[in-house]
Amino acid sequence: MIRSDRILGVVVVIVALAFIVSAYNLPAGNLFDKLGPKAFPIIVAVGMLVSAVGLILRPDPEADWPEMPSLVSIGFATLVLIGYAYSLKPLGFLAPTAVAAAILSYQISPRPLPAVLTGVGLSAGLFIIFKYALGLGLFALPRGLLG
Amino acid sequence: MDLFANLAIGFEVALSPMTLILAVVGCFLGTIIGALPGLGPSNGVAILIPITFTMGLDATAALVLLTSVYYGAMYGGRISSILLNIPGDEPAMMTTLDGYPMAKNGRAGDALVISGVASFVGAFLATVALALVAPYLARIAYKFGPAEYFALYALAFATLGGMASNNQAKSALASFIGLGIALIGIDNNSGFTRFTGGNLHLADGIDFLVAIVGLFAVSEVFFFIESHGKGSAVGVVLGKVTVPWREIWSTRWTMLRSSAVGFVAGVLPGAGASLGSFMTYMMEKSIAGKQGGFGTGVAKGVAAPEAGNNAAAGGALVPMLTLGVPGSGTTAVLLAVLMTLNITPGPTLFADRPDVVWGLIAALLIANFVLLAMNVPMVKVFVRILQVPPAILLPGVTMISFVGIYSLSGSYFDLLLMVGFGVMGYIFRKMDIPTVPVILGILLGYQMENNLRHAMTLSGGEWTYLLSSPISIGLWIAAALGFIAPMFLRRFLRKPQMVTD
Amino acid sequence: MNKTLKVLLTSAALTFTAGSAFATECIAPANPGGGWDFTCRQIGKILFDIGLVSDPVQVTNMAGAGGGLAFAHVVNERNTDEDLIVAASSATTTRLAQNAFGGMTADQVRFVGAIGADPGVIVVAADSPFQTLTDLVEAIKADPGSVAFAGGSAAGGFDHMKPLQVLKAAGFSDITSVKYIGVDGGADAITQTIGGFTQAMTGDMSEIVGFINSGEVRALAVLTEERVPGFDQIPTAIEQGYDVVAVNWRGLYVPKGISDEAFNAWGEKLAAVAASAEWQEAMAANGLAPFTKVGGDFQSWIDQVVADTVELSKEIGVIQ
Repeated sequence: MIRSDRILGVVVVIVALAFIVSAYNLPAGNLFDKLGPKAFPIIVAVGMLVSAVGLILRPDPEADWPEMPSLVSIGFATLVLIGYAYSLKPLGFLAPTAVAAAILSYQISPRPLPAVLTGVGLSAGLFIIFKYALGLGLFALPRGLLG
Repeated sequence: MDLFANLAIGFEVALSPMTLILAVVGCFLGTIIGALPGLGPSNGVAILIPITFTMGLDATAALVLLTSVYYGAMYGGRISSILLNIPGDEPAMMTTLDGYPMAKNGRAGDALVISGVASFVGAFLATVALALVAPYLARIAYKFGPAEYFALYALAFATLGGMASNNQAKSALASFIGLGIALIGIDNNSGFTRFTGGNLHLADGIDFLVAIVGLFAVSEVFFFIESHGKGSAVGVVLGKVTVPWREIWSTRWTMLRSSAVGFVAGVLPGAGASLGSFMTYMMEKSIAGKQGGFGTGVAKGVAAPEAGNNAAAGGALVPMLTLGVPGSGTTAVLLAVLMTLNITPGPTLFADRPDVVWGLIAALLIANFVLLAMNVPMVKVFVRILQVPPAILLPGVTMISFVGIYSLSGSYFDLLLMVGFGVMGYIFRKMDIPTVPVILGILLGYQMENNLRHAMTLSGGEWTYLLSSPISIGLWIAAALGFIAPMFLRRFLRKPQMVTD
Repeated sequence: MNKTLKVLLTSAALTFTAGSAFATECIAPANPGGGWDFTCRQIGKILFDIGLVSDPVQVTNMAGAGGGLAFAHVVNERNTDEDLIVAASSATTTRLAQNAFGGMTADQVRFVGAIGADPGVIVVAADSPFQTLTDLVEAIKADPGSVAFAGGSAAGGFDHMKPLQVLKAAGFSDITSVKYIGVDGGADAITQTIGGFTQAMTGDMSEIVGFINSGEVRALAVLTEERVPGFDQIPTAIEQGYDVVAVNWRGLYVPKGISDEAFNAWGEKLAAVAASAEWQEAMAANGLAPFTKVGGDFQSWIDQVVADTVELSKEIGVIQ
């Protein structure tokens, strides 16, 4: 039976093999550095392999994964955070923070108005704290708008 | 006497207004962070690290602030354990066993006060013990060469991994994944770039702070999205808080025993506070026997794990300061702070930077009194904070994490990595794969590899060198035991699943 | 240095680079707080205090690639800027000699002067059988594997080079058989040596002061021309018969494309800074020994140092 433990095990086995292949291309050691840069990565990769195989052979009972809607919701939150990461620099702090915080808030507790208020409040409040109390060099608005 | 001279140096540093303010702020924030379900000492400290650096605090100030948060969170963790039956952090898990029943019996106030006093006793005694033994233990570092350090790191992984999960394969897997991540980037010894896949952003390696904040803070938001913030309303109403003097006195031996055991558990590299609270609860339960009524809401059942886990928190600072090997997840995070401040733990730390070490110890002593005041008379304030709805709290934590990391590197790539670690943290925790060994791996990978390479260079490639001293042999044996023992003890130590009623 | 700091500093550099076009700018190719930063801030402050520049010198931190980022910036974008000085040290020339700056070479800038140095030292534990540098050298000649050195730089780095230079000066040629481990900084190297895991430590004077005073280590030699004031009990390698000078100098380079007049003017200004009382104090407070070489003199010394480093690096296989 396929369980998530086994899936992860297979993924790790692939990563570990890639590690080993990649490490083999590194030079061997010399007198000042007997092992060189390749030995330890190979040890670590073998460790990954062994524990991953252990996981494949003896998986735990299936984890308690959320229902599909929750998974979609978490996936969407991830996308929001990725978008937030990309937009902080070009768009400044205020707008992306308000939007991202509002979406996350709505996802936790699906009430539109409080979510929007949370977003705006967090964005403004955190900006004031970071900029004026802690002195971080944040840009409020897109740099383009500031000339 | 040396100790008093040293403490005088420490108090001179700690009693400066700035340091005092930081200690009080740290205690306050820490208690809140500890009390909030889902946020514990590790993520609390993790979120604050980047901000501390951008504020430009010097080494002592930064350490005082962050360790106050650490101690504060250890105190605060019990609040939600008692009121909500949700441990505010992992070490507070055992406190739910008697704390919540007590609260349901209408004695929430008593439970909070007893556990607050127990926390104080544990943390205070541990800080005193830290001041007494650390300078002597620091000399041990002279006995540690590359082979011994390599064995010590192995021990840290083995014991932490052994305790952290119900499945050794998963603990081992997490450790190796962490070590693998640590290998990414330019190898300092040879100058070769490893495992970056040609990505220039990865050439300098993956910053452990990015991983810490991702795994500990960002992953939290996913859990709350999944549960829609349910189970976070205050379940028990807190009435008038009075001090049950007699009951506190009746737990005096429990507190003292638990402090001693907790401290020792904390000193063991990798074992940490969770082990401290398990061991002390189990110990007191067996001492009390059936008549003790452990699990039904008795004072000793609250006092033991709280004294134990707070004492362990102090004990965990010992290996971190003396050998640079963290004794718990949070001290791992604190070690990251030291490394970023270019402070090298070890005997030289005690000699070269007495202001840092003794200032820290003095600040911790002061922090304990501040925390006692906050957690007993002022406990209601924190109970109120527990009522901040997660729909505000979690987005706030996430945004703070983003700004913190962004202010460090100004790189969107680090933010993406952090989100990646957040997702990884969610999946791993769902699958009961512990995340602390991952952090430990990222943190110690470089040192572990270096020491292995040095050992091999010194020995001319002779592998037996790794087992050539009594210390390293002892450490390897302890590591093997620490990893294997939990498999047999699981019957007793199985992590208590959350009680549902 | 660790990763976090690196990133932290890169971002700091990005924040502070925008500056006035007229004031003198000093680039510290590293984080605030390190040696290069100290060089820039002290020299900049003294230049202004003694009236050699009309505006306060603006210090820019440009960390990255161990100084390589700043070097590339100067070579590619500021090649004719006469108002630019850049902090440098032995690490700069070692890395250039070992091709650590992505193919850039030492002759792409002009080294204008050094005004202080952290002397190189070779140290053993207090209970070591080696009493003099000669004892140590003879032991290595007899059995190269018997002595392992610990130092604060990676294999092939400056700390590693110091004992190898001494051994070469002693006529020992099989230097690749000498064991060396590069640990995290001088304090770690001393701890390993006191613990007996390595037999000797190679590093800078400033790293060992505390241990000398506590009597835990014995300095066999200091790698300067004269004994260091304040540490007169430590003999130089030269007086023990090994003609080696290896100091971690603190100084400046300037862009290649500036006029000879501008280059010489910087040399004179630097000499004036070196002679100032303020600099003498700063050196004493930071464990630096006097070491003043400026202008053409310094440039030719640097050329020799780079050539030696290249030769030694090839011998031990750090570069091809």
